[in-house]
Amino acid sequence: MSDEVLLEVKQLVKYFDVFSRGVFTRKKVGEVHAVDGVSFAIKRGETFGLVGESGCGKTTTAKVILNLEDATSGTVNFEGRDVFELLKSGKRSDILQIRRGMQMVFQNPYLSLDPRMTVFDILSEPFIIHGHIGRSDWTARVYELLTKVGLEPYHAERYPHEFSGGQRQRIAIARALAVEPKFIAADEPVSSLDVSIRAQILNLMMELQRDQKISYLYISHDLSSVRQISHRVAVMYLGEIVELANTDSLFEHPLHPYTQALISAIPIPDPETKRQRIILPGEVPSPLNPPPACRFHPRCPYAQEICRTVKPVFEQVDTDHFVACHFWKKFA
Amino acid sequence: MSQLTEEQTAPPKRVHRQRSATQWAVAWRRFKRNKSGVAGLAIVIAFVVFAIFGPLFAPYPPRSTESLLQGQAGQPPSWKHPFGTEINGIDVFSDSIWGARNDLWIGVAATAIATLIGLAVGALAGYSRGVIGGILLGIIQFFFVIPTLLLILLFSRVFQVLVYQGFGVNLIVLILGLFGWPGISFVIRGEIFRVRELEFIQAEKALGAGNLRILFRHIVPNVLTPVIVLASLLVAGNILTEVVLFFLGFGPANVATWGELIEEGVQYVSVYPWVALFPGLLVVTLVLGFNLLGDGLADALNPRLRE
Repeated sequence: MSDEVLLEVKQLVKYFDVFSRGVFTRKKVGEVHAVDGVSFAIKRGETFGLVGESGCGKTTTAKVILNLEDATSGTVNFEGRDVFELLKSGKRSDILQIRRGMQMVFQNPYLSLDPRMTVFDILSEPFIIHGHIGRSDWTARVYELLTKVGLEPYHAERYPHEFSGGQRQRIAIARALAVEPKFIAADEPVSSLDVSIRAQILNLMMELQRDQKISYLYISHDLSSVRQISHRVAVMYLGEIVELANTDSLFEHPLHPYTQALISAIPIPDPETKRQRIILPGEVPSPLNPPPACRFHPRCPYAQEICRTVKPVFEQVDTDHFVACHFWKKFA
Repeated sequence: MSQLTEEQTAPPKRVHRQRSATQWAVAWRRFKRNKSGVAGLAIVIAFVVFAIFGPLFAPYPPRSTESLLQGQAGQPPSWKHPFGTEINGIDVFSDSIWGARNDLWIGVAATAIATLIGLAVGALAGYSRGVIGGILLGIIQFFFVIPTLLLILLFSRVFQVLVYQGFGVNLIVLILGLFGWPGISFVIRGEIFRVRELEFIQAEKALGAGNLRILFRHIVPNVLTPVIVLASLLVAGNILTEVVLFFLGFGPANVATWGELIEEGVQYVSVYPWVALFPGLLVVTLVLGFNLLGDGLADALNPRLRE
């Protein structure tokens, strides 16, 4: 890991419009605030964890960064170049260059591979699109990719439905690696897998990072795996980042009440240890209509009047620790 | 030693293990276990063979009134005329064979045209968002509400000159093809809505694949199964439409089809019942065959019924 910034996300916003449909008209009746002003930077060779409950905008953040969804506003810089600008109006060669640099591994390996293609076709597809590998080298490269992710060359002639979930996720990782990317957004890559398979996939990802200096955006709601794999972690709540810190600092000294509640919910594999679970009251409010000021205030055990009226600043509290809470000093 | 280094430097050959079963092969295995589906396929194949090779053995040319001159009009079934003859001396057996050819041509060719148009329009309507998608949907809905049969009745009068020049059957093919596609388009459009949000399509986008590549190499192959089923049912529907058309007397004159025979037979059904009976049975059998085939395909291709 170096200090050089590879990917910089600035004030990313994604609202989904909600329409009511008449016979001939479509009237916009509201917006889902899926991602609301998210900023962070990922360094070369770093794993950046992004955690939060279901529906807090983690996946949308990743999809918007790769422009699989259009951003409402905000910018993403990859190696100093404006991703959205280039993908929208750049030359085909620029677009391909951006696409080669950033890849994504999806949550559900049962949906992320084309069921009508053999593994060989799936893995050589990137070679067709980018033309960076001559046709005569395809076989060698496909076998190399399969070996790299822990599969065998003869698997190339099979179809996705013949593999287990873990094997499919390996194929999905191999497809991402086929373009030699510098950055991979991994959207809950292990959450649909067996617990025994999870560690294998995470180890594979870490190995690849060591060998090829790949940066990851690792999205998960599973805090133990985030702790295991990430260098830095950001915590999201209702489309906003509420705390961002290096992994040790975040897990040892969580400053935001929401982070504290999340960490208190991690199961401890020791029946003797007494846990102090912080139970948050209520449900996550609707992102259609997020609460004003601090979005966490309706569920926060420490909420005061100021939390309902003034939005907390996302401030730096330590060398590598940021938090958005009026009362962080109370917890420091 | 030298052998070892050679192995290391030579480019690896593609491992030629047995290529594993494609989804189509799996579907075929499932289809074979379905008795009614296989029966449908057998009926369809039998009729196709009958249509292709039958004319070699047909005793008389189409619409030939030769038997009339031999005093053989209106004869019941016999060894000479297995399906009998009608009032003008036309041999029903011969014309049934020629009719099989015309009816299958109408059914299959019109379905091919309708399927291609339906696939293209449905795919574009499903994949384009915004105004273009809306316009295409409007076009599909417009064609969907046009009563095809009335149009054919209209066109076969309007283009009577063409019909007399022997274009009759192909006129029916064109009209059935050009107006029969909206049903297929609707299904394709819906299927594409489902498939285009799947993660493997997003993965393709992330790889930088162009829209045409995504649409035709990844989306369309994944929505083809319902099209195959619909197409086999559409063939049956088109054959029935042909019969109705001739039965109502709107068919081009002097073309040997089952519908024409049935129309003629019905006029004298109390005297010469065999004239309508045999072609009627053929229509029922073939349409049943296509329907059984379609049902069998629907079951075999349904991913939720995996063994």
